[in-house]
Amino acid sequence: MKVTVDGIEIDLPAGTSAIDAVFSAGGDVPYFCAHKYLSPVGACRMCLVESGSPRKNPDGSFVMEGEGDAASPKIFWFPKPMASCTMQATEGMHIRSAKTSEVVAKAQAGMMEFTLLNHPLDCPTCDKGGACELQDRAFEYGYGASRFGFDRRHAEKHYPLSDFVILDQERCIHCKRCVRYFEEVPGQEVLDFIERGGHTFIDTQEGGLPTGFSGNITDICPVGALLDNVARFRGRNWEYDHTPTTCTLCPVGCSITVDARNGRLERIVAGENRDVNEAWICDAGRFGHVFASEERLTTPLIRDEDGQLVPATWDAAIDAMKRGFSGMRTADVALYLGADSTLEEGAALEALAAATGARSVDHSPRYEVSVTAPQATLTDVATADAVVVIGADLGEEAPVLELRILEMLRGGLIPPEFAHGTAIADLRLVERPARRPERLAVIGQESRLWAHAGHRVSANGKGALARLTHPDTDELRAVLSLLEGAERPVIILGADVLNGASGSFSANLSDLASRTGAKVIAIPAAANSRGLGALNLVPRTGGLPLSRAQEAPAAFISRLDPGVRAAGFTVVHDTHLTTTARLADVVLPAITNYEKRGTVQNLEGRLLPLHPAAIQSGESADLIRTLTALAEALGVKAPARGLRGAQALLADRVALNLSDLPARGALHTFRQTFAGPAAPHTPTLWTERMHARRLTWVDRIEELVQNDWQLPVAPAAPPARAGGDD
Amino acid sequence: MTYFENKQPLVADIFSRYPDSPQGRRSALMPLLREVQDAEGFVSESRMAEIAALCGTTATEVRSVMSFYSTYHTVPTGRYHLQVCSTLMCALAGSDELWDHLVETLDVQPGEVSADGRFSVQKVECLGSCGTAPMMQINDDGYYENVGPSKCARILESLRNDLQPLPDNPVPVTVGADGRQVLAGGGAVGSSVTGLHRLPGQAGGEA
Repeated sequence: MKVTVDGIEIDLPAGTSAIDAVFSAGGDVPYFCAHKYLSPVGACRMCLVESGSPRKNPDGSFVMEGEGDAASPKIFWFPKPMASCTMQATEGMHIRSAKTSEVVAKAQAGMMEFTLLNHPLDCPTCDKGGACELQDRAFEYGYGASRFGFDRRHAEKHYPLSDFVILDQERCIHCKRCVRYFEEVPGQEVLDFIERGGHTFIDTQEGGLPTGFSGNITDICPVGALLDNVARFRGRNWEYDHTPTTCTLCPVGCSITVDARNGRLERIVAGENRDVNEAWICDAGRFGHVFASEERLTTPLIRDEDGQLVPATWDAAIDAMKRGFSGMRTADVALYLGADSTLEEGAALEALAAATGARSVDHSPRYEVSVTAPQATLTDVATADAVVVIGADLGEEAPVLELRILEMLRGGLIPPEFAHGTAIADLRLVERPARRPERLAVIGQESRLWAHAGHRVSANGKGALARLTHPDTDELRAVLSLLEGAERPVIILGADVLNGASGSFSANLSDLASRTGAKVIAIPAAANSRGLGALNLVPRTGGLPLSRAQEAPAAFISRLDPGVRAAGFTVVHDTHLTTTARLADVVLPAITNYEKRGTVQNLEGRLLPLHPAAIQSGESADLIRTLTALAEALGVKAPARGLRGAQALLADRVALNLSDLPARGALHTFRQTFAGPAAPHTPTLWTERMHARRLTWVDRIEELVQNDWQLPVAPAAPPARAGGDD
Repeated sequence: MTYFENKQPLVADIFSRYPDSPQGRRSALMPLLREVQDAEGFVSESRMAEIAALCGTTATEVRSVMSFYSTYHTVPTGRYHLQVCSTLMCALAGSDELWDHLVETLDVQPGEVSADGRFSVQKVECLGSCGTAPMMQINDDGYYENVGPSKCARILESLRNDLQPLPDNPVPVTVGADGRQVLAGGGAVGSSVTGLHRLPGQAGGEA
């Protein structure tokens, strides 16, 4: 399909919207209401363009203009500018944007003037300042002056829609993005326009927004009307250090941007990764970041003569470890790490375990079963024609997976990708899409997804898979025939089935998968359980799993809180003074995953990069560096001294090259995974420390003073240091 | 007790007018709202939630639809609900003065009911009677046209005595089998155009 935009002829797939045609041609169109993953509605009228098409004579030939060879099809222009987000580009269409058309430029400036008619100029105080689409577009496309001199409309400010989201009704420009988001993405019609005309405002009648995916509306609001209440008034957009990285609170691995200011993590916003989370993240990922900057351990702690943990230097901590481990065999030191650690950290730990001969090695949480079935990706889930969820509470285990399932219910339309990125207005996406609940079956306990499912089977998770393979009720027979009749079925397995799955489980699953042609997602227990499972981080013969850590002669426990200490000398490496850390002999400060560089593998097997955000964490160190200290204390040579060393280990041991991982991640299947007995794991997304304490600003400042928090400043004369290999 | 609990035949009748699909069920929203409004004079929040449950939607959605129309009320109205058209034509002809007069003499603001329970007032968008502006509608009964100061005083006086004067133009209420709207009194709508006289000086021709 040939379309001419501002005189440039481009070739586009049929069905492209006019706005995407302009962007494909390298032009620009301002817009507020259109959004990549929402239906185009043409509400804001900002994306006006002039357009015209050739017309045919009754005999099928084009109406021509000009004489002889110079003749070309005559373009019949629409008499007025058209909204380009809801208009489909057609063969031979001509489009003029503000770049070449004065009519369009004037129409857009007029529309801008109209939108700003009642918009308060809160820019000096508004949190959206610096990232406000209205501000930017007013600068680029507005007149710079208004002919309307009267008082602006006044409406309620600081209107809480929930604990997390604050609405400023005055700033709302009625683009309807938030309304459409709730209806189309999580399938909850909890926001809508109330009243009409000049009195229209956004509100809910449900007594507040449901927790789950409500935070996304603060991202997509093009103005400062909907704001993240956890981050509100914490900084201006240009003051934040923006770090695109990966969320590791659950195994989905959503793309996020971590905004830190003055060394404190103040805000998390969703990043775009079409293959994983599209543009959405869950509320836990967005609002549950407070622990990264609250009550952190910043120096090592060692136990003094009185039995108290006192701050110390790393050197003193290494000395204390040397004393503690003296007379002990290095193989007696059990090594445990949290399953949200990176692959590099896992490789370093595994190599150290090989060097010391430790048999008690474990990562937690994990399930003892390793699934061998065709792996489904998240895009497979979204484009499947049947999904069966067994024994999973996705709200606790992998919330964004739930959004991808809901995407499947409304047709699995994933907007096309152009040179300029995801299509800005995909005309196939419609408001109030028809849903196909009969394509979804949920077997297990009641959950949020339950309400959307066409087939619901109450079942105890443990035997659910076996019962599905040989159905004994009509409901289960219906689910099995759904799987058998589907062309692209996906089975999703959650904690209820994976916990304590017995030997016949894997055989049952592969049998079911091969019979129905289904792909499988077994939701791992933690963000990187899948990747760490491939690194032999499970107890060797005679070794102790984490659940029996108290029997170990000595232990090194990284970012885990089993609540017990080893029988002998115990070293804990953690970000906070947890119960386990309080029991330890030496506590080493750790960095959170927001501050790490490394790689994790998500539930579909995609390797995703972590990048370090600028968060103040004192002398905290990641696991690789901490292991060098541990190796020194144990008197062995550290196998990896930094990230690159650890990546070399990965390349060597599991043939994994991480040097040029694309930003969107890459799928990878490890040849072998290691499994072993594990304690049952109950996934919970929100932990106690993730909840923001509601402090007034006076309390907050008082607390910062008490914690002796200081503005991070560069030391006057940085000490000369030998370079590491990191 | 919920409003529709013992009105299953009525609910079934309303739903039978729409397709038997999720979208069809949502379409029954307006008649259900009308039913509650006619019976109780306004639609309370609990009724909104009840209708939402019946239609398979959310209370937010019900409130959104409801608030689009000025004919549905979220708060109780007086026995005489005075609706003043405030759109351009009426505004030019003095609806603001009429409104101010009503608000002052009745001592009642939008959303309130006067102390004696008789009056509530509301500004509404165009009622389509521009030729007879300013105009006022009382309840659903009909139009009071050309409401100047003296006419307003006469209307209020008789309303205070609970004698509602007949409207100048009763609103159409039903649509007959032939597709014509019929007035509350049974007369055909648009009867006011049957008595038109040809202006002097105009030649015949098409009417």
